[in-house]
Amino acid sequence: MSQKRIAKELAELTESPPEGITVELADEANLYEWKVYMDGPEGSPYQKGKFLVKLSLPTGYPFKPPTVSFATRIYHPNITNDEKGSMCLGMLRADEWKPSSKISAVLQFARQLLSEPMPDDAIEGRIADQYNNDNNRYREIAREWTRKHAMAE
Amino acid sequence: MSVSTIPWNHFGPHHFYPEKQKANSYYQNILPSTFLPPRGHSRPVYPGPNMSHSSNMNALSPDEMERFQKLSNEFEADVPGPLVSPKQSSHSIAMEYANADPTFATKTNALSISHPMTRVMKGDGNCGWRAVAFGYFETLFNLRDTLRVQRERERIKSLSTLLDQVGQQEELYEIFVDATEEVFAQTLAAIQNVEQDETFLVNAFNDDYGSSAVITHFRLLTSAWMKLNPLRYQAFLSLPLDSYCGSRIETVRTEIDEVGLQALVDGVIEGAGFGVEILYLDRSEGDAVTPHQLSPIRPSEATIRLLYRPGHYDLLYRAELPAVNMAPVVNFQYGMTTSYTPWDQGALSFDISPHLMSIPNLTADPAFGGMGGPMSPMQSHSHAPMPPVSPAPLSSYRVSPPQEMYQSPMQSHAPMPPVSSPPPVLPSAPPPMTVLPSRSSDGPQIRLNPLVMKPNLSHSLPVTTPFKNSSPYNQAHFQNSDFEPIHYAPNEHRR
Repeated sequence: MSQKRIAKELAELTESPPEGITVELADEANLYEWKVYMDGPEGSPYQKGKFLVKLSLPTGYPFKPPTVSFATRIYHPNITNDEKGSMCLGMLRADEWKPSSKISAVLQFARQLLSEPMPDDAIEGRIADQYNNDNNRYREIAREWTRKHAMAE
Repeated sequence: MSVSTIPWNHFGPHHFYPEKQKANSYYQNILPSTFLPPRGHSRPVYPGPNMSHSSNMNALSPDEMERFQKLSNEFEADVPGPLVSPKQSSHSIAMEYANADPTFATKTNALSISHPMTRVMKGDGNCGWRAVAFGYFETLFNLRDTLRVQRERERIKSLSTLLDQVGQQEELYEIFVDATEEVFAQTLAAIQNVEQDETFLVNAFNDDYGSSAVITHFRLLTSAWMKLNPLRYQAFLSLPLDSYCGSRIETVRTEIDEVGLQALVDGVIEGAGFGVEILYLDRSEGDAVTPHQLSPIRPSEATIRLLYRPGHYDLLYRAELPAVNMAPVVNFQYGMTTSYTPWDQGALSFDISPHLMSIPNLTADPAFGGMGGPMSPMQSHSHAPMPPVSPAPLSSYRVSPPQEMYQSPMQSHAPMPPVSSPPPVLPSAPPPMTVLPSRSSDGPQIRLNPLVMKPNLSHSLPVTTPFKNSSPYNQAHFQNSDFEPIHYAPNEHRR
C-alpha cells in the first residue's frame, strides 16, 4: 500500500515540482530512496547553490516520517555540520509526523528552512549562536560553503 | 511531570505503559533531574545541544547531549505483546491488583464477575484508538448481518467527504480508506463463511501496517469531524482546535484523550448505532468500576466497552446472560404472533437484521416441514423414532397444525404443506400443548425474542410468572401456559 502512495507522490512531484526542487529516484528499482536537487532560496546565503538532498522513506511510510539529509555540505544551524548532513525537526520528528503530510510538503519545509533557520531548535548550537549574535559572519561562512560545495560545476 | 510527582499508584501495580508520558519519564530517569525543565504535558521536546551554554548543562558534553537527543528522538517504548490480544479472562486484571489498594482490589474483583472477558491493547500510543476501531469491527462481526456490514462499509466510505471538506487530499488518504475497506471485506467474508470467532480480526489488527492504516483513517475522520463541528469541542481544549487536531489527533503515536475519544465516537462510531461505554478503573468511591456512556445510544449487545486505566485502554466483555442462549427456543414458541406493535426503531440498533426480521416468517422453521435450519438435527426425520420419554416439549409444538401455529400477515405463500413429521411424534405430545396454539391467537400479544425485548415489556404482560426464577433451560416451562421467560434487562444489573 505504501508503494501505491509513494508512486503517486513521486508522479505529482515530477509533473509539477515545487519551486526550486527537482526529484528523481536514486535507483529506478527502489521507490524508497530519492535524490532531491534543491536550489538555494534567493535572498539566503545559499542562493545560487544547488544542494543534493537524500530523502529516504521508511518501509513504515507514511506511518513513519521520511528522513532528510544533505549530501552536499552546508553551513546551517539545523543541519548537522558533518558528512551526514542530517536534519530532524518539526514535521520530520516521529512524534510530530502526520501520515497525511506529503513528501512535497517535507521538501518545501526543508527548503524554507534554508531561508529561515530555526536557531531555537538547532542541532548545531555554535552556528545557532552565531546566527543569533553575529549574523553577518554566519551569512559570510554559509555563502563561502555554498560556493565551495554547492556550486561545483 | 517528573517521576517523583507521579502518584505511586498512578498506573496500578502492574505497569501498563501510559504511552508518551511513560516515555518521558524513562528519559528522565537517564538524565540528571536538573537537566529537564519542568514540563506540564506530554510533548517530548528535549533540549538540543544548542542549549549547552546554559548554566545547568555542564553535566553533559555536546556529544552526550547529541546522543541523548538521538535516543529521545528514536525512543519507542518497548512494550511486549501483540497489538491486540485474544480474548482472555479478566481475572488477570484482578490478579494484577490483588495486592494493591483495597479499592482497586474490590473493583477488579467485581469487574471479573460482571465483565469476565477482556482484550488487552498494546500500549504503544494507539491503544485507545485501536480499542475503539477493533471493538467497532468486532461488534459488527458479532451481529452477523451482512447487510449491515455493507451498509457500514458505505457509511464509512461516505465519510471521506468530511476529509475533502477539510482539505485532505484523496491521493494521501485513500490508502487508509482502502485498509478499512479491506477489513470490512474480511468481516463480510467471515460472516458468509460462518467463521466461529473473530480470529481473523485479531490477525488483521496485529498486522502493523494495516492496523496503523485503519487507525490513521479513524484519526483523520475524527479530526475532520472536529474541524467541522468546532463549537462542540473547542471549549474543552486548551489549545486552538486546529493545532489540537494537528498535534494530538492526526499524529502517529499520540494517545487519544477524552475529547478525542468523544469526537471519535460522535463522528465515526455513533452512526453505526453502536453504543460506547467506558468503565473507569480508578480510586474513586465505590466498589465497582465507574461506567460512562459516550453515546446517547442505549447499551445493547452492540456496545463497545472500554476499560480505562490512567493512560491506557483495553476492551471489556460483559457476562452473557443465559437468556441470550435461549433465543432459538423462545423464538419457536413465542415469536409467533399475528400482530404486534412495531418496536422503537431508534432503540434497536439491529432493527434490520435479516436474521431477526425473518423470525416471524421462520420459513426455515423445521416445524413447517422439517427442512434445514438451526434446529434441523433435532427435527430431522432421522429422529422420528424418538423415544416417547424424550423431552417432549421442545418438539411438541410440531403437533400443532401449522395454520394454528402462526400465520404471518407478511406470509404470502399458500398455507404450509401438511407437516410430514408429526405422526411419529404425535403420541408423545403432552396434553398441555393443545392449549398453546390458542394462546398465540387470542392471548397476550407478546414478542419474547430476548434480543429485541425492552425492559418495560413486562408491564404489558398480563401473565403471572410462576417459573420466573427457575432455570431458563428447564423445558418444563413450555408446558405451562403461564410461562414467562426471564427478561434480559442489562441496566438493572450494572448501575
